[in-house]
Amino acid sequence: MPNVIVCYKWVLDEQDISVNENTLELNLSRAKSKISDYDRNAIEAGARLVERFGGKLTALSYGTSDVKSSLKDTLSRGPEAVYWIGDATATKADAYVTANVLAAAIKQIGSFDIVICAEGSADQYSQQVGPRLAALLGAAAVTFANQLDWADGQLVAHRKLENSIEVLRTDAPVVASVLPEINEARIPALKQVLAAGKKPMTELKISDLQLDAAKLQPKNKVDKIKGAVFNRKNIIFKESNAAENVSKLLDCLKKESVV
Amino acid sequence: MNSLFTEEQLLLQAAAREFAEKELQPRAARIDQEAVFPEEAMKMLAELEMTGIPYPQEYGGGGADMISYALILEELAKQCEATALTLSSHTMAAAPILTFGAKEQITRFVPALNSLRKIGAFALTEAGAGSDAGGIVTSAVLDGDDYVINGTKIFITNGDKCDIVLLFARTDPASKGNKGLSAFIVEKKVSDFEVGKHEDKMGIRGSHTTELIFRNCRVPKENLLGKPGEGLKIALTTLVGGRIAIAAQAVGVAQACLDESINYAKERHQFGRPLASNQAIQWMIADMAKDVAAARLLTHHAAKLFDLGEPCGTQASIAKLFASEAAMNHAIKAVQIHGGYGYVRGTKVERLFRDVKVMEIFEGTSEVHRMIISGSLIK
Repeated sequence: MPNVIVCYKWVLDEQDISVNENTLELNLSRAKSKISDYDRNAIEAGARLVERFGGKLTALSYGTSDVKSSLKDTLSRGPEAVYWIGDATATKADAYVTANVLAAAIKQIGSFDIVICAEGSADQYSQQVGPRLAALLGAAAVTFANQLDWADGQLVAHRKLENSIEVLRTDAPVVASVLPEINEARIPALKQVLAAGKKPMTELKISDLQLDAAKLQPKNKVDKIKGAVFNRKNIIFKESNAAENVSKLLDCLKKESVV
Repeated sequence: MNSLFTEEQLLLQAAAREFAEKELQPRAARIDQEAVFPEEAMKMLAELEMTGIPYPQEYGGGGADMISYALILEELAKQCEATALTLSSHTMAAAPILTFGAKEQITRFVPALNSLRKIGAFALTEAGAGSDAGGIVTSAVLDGDDYVINGTKIFITNGDKCDIVLLFARTDPASKGNKGLSAFIVEKKVSDFEVGKHEDKMGIRGSHTTELIFRNCRVPKENLLGKPGEGLKIALTTLVGGRIAIAAQAVGVAQACLDESINYAKERHQFGRPLASNQAIQWMIADMAKDVAAARLLTHHAAKLFDLGEPCGTQASIAKLFASEAAMNHAIKAVQIHGGYGYVRGTKVERLFRDVKVMEIFEGTSEVHRMIISGSLIK
């Protein structure tokens, strides 16, 4: 029966973020937070694993103090307990810092068989945290997983590659990063929501994780985040003959290498 | 964080919204056009433990409060009022059993209703009795260990699908008006009654509405709910929760009218600019938003009083009256904003327009609610 830890990120809901078309500045003032969509699949993958094979599912998140607002939402989706680190360092954390903090937290939580992450987060999508965690924890790394099973004390993972599926087995401990297509995340049932607040929620202080100051310094420095605006070409074909319009449209699409 | 609500209430609202957008929105047009009973959606709601939301968990209910129930119904109604109404009518059947039932009746019927193993219905209205329950002529006569029921109920929501009916009948033939009425828990498999005419309705077409015909229908006497003669009290007590539920659904429909109107007014261009740039449209949208907000607050106020166990009959009437009339008025405006597109089948506001009218009629007409409200003020 695997002891599973799932990591998730509390991100701004991209639907609430607007872009100023002139300056390309992002307006975040109306943005509410949510569990990163891909992490909902990661939590679901963990929940299904322990539902099918027994064991225990614990959730873990590193973010600013705002991450506290995510705890009941997370617990309504299957985990038995949640650990969270709410610290200002998270505002500038890159995959290096995030992995350092999560690895230290996992060591503090105790032993594990499987750590599940999403392949990337909904905001930065660096795809690094899973493999970095594996390295820091001395665990096997499995990426691009679209199926996870537990058999004879080993993780059996299906990895979706370019043109094939690789099925592999690995001993615990292992860190698996999963693709969103691995499942459809459940909508929490009513009693799960009401029971969430009764499950254990533990705050870990970054000062208690015994991390060198250097490990909290991001390697990447983000200068600016700008919105991407889709510039329409506004070409209208006005020939009376429909076939001619279609053929002109095709020519344009070919020129743009769309078809 | 919206401080009016608890985190749990907001999470339940989010869960209902996700379910409604994912599962109801794509089904709603067909449910309406083909008058399909939303059986599939109801089963999914049962899996989400939302078929007995405000009832104790020890009887298989959700254990949530009335505010959560209102938030959930609003989300469902935004996408498919027929499903929301099917759920609230089903849910209402368990309320009188929990409030007035003997322990044995509660354990026998309520968990089955809450889990949707049985579908519930509430049968009060007759040809000569609707707003005035005192006009009930359906009779229940004790004969040995059974009551023998004779009469016809009309406009019964879930009538053809229900397994358990909360039936109101006259047990004292000498009585007139509101006295001498009693409530019964009638099980379809035990006391076979007939399903009569299916109503072909203007709106909420997926919610099935039928006659129920009782011809010498024998109901075991242990299925009498409460004491003989308590029928009216039982009905009126139950209707308060039902009215809050309808108010919440009216808020959902009104919000949907507003959402559709905003989207359309921004997309549709006339005279080289979006409809939304016209002040005439802006004012309609502002009026809609104002009333939706007021209706929602009135509904949540009534729900809060209900949760606190305080008298809330008048407040429930105020909420139901205001929300249903606001929803009707704004469905008219939403169709107006959509112009010709709002008048053709397949446009969401066309469906909302037809769905909403009944909200001013069932669970007490607007006129009855004005009587209740004024009656509580002018004594």
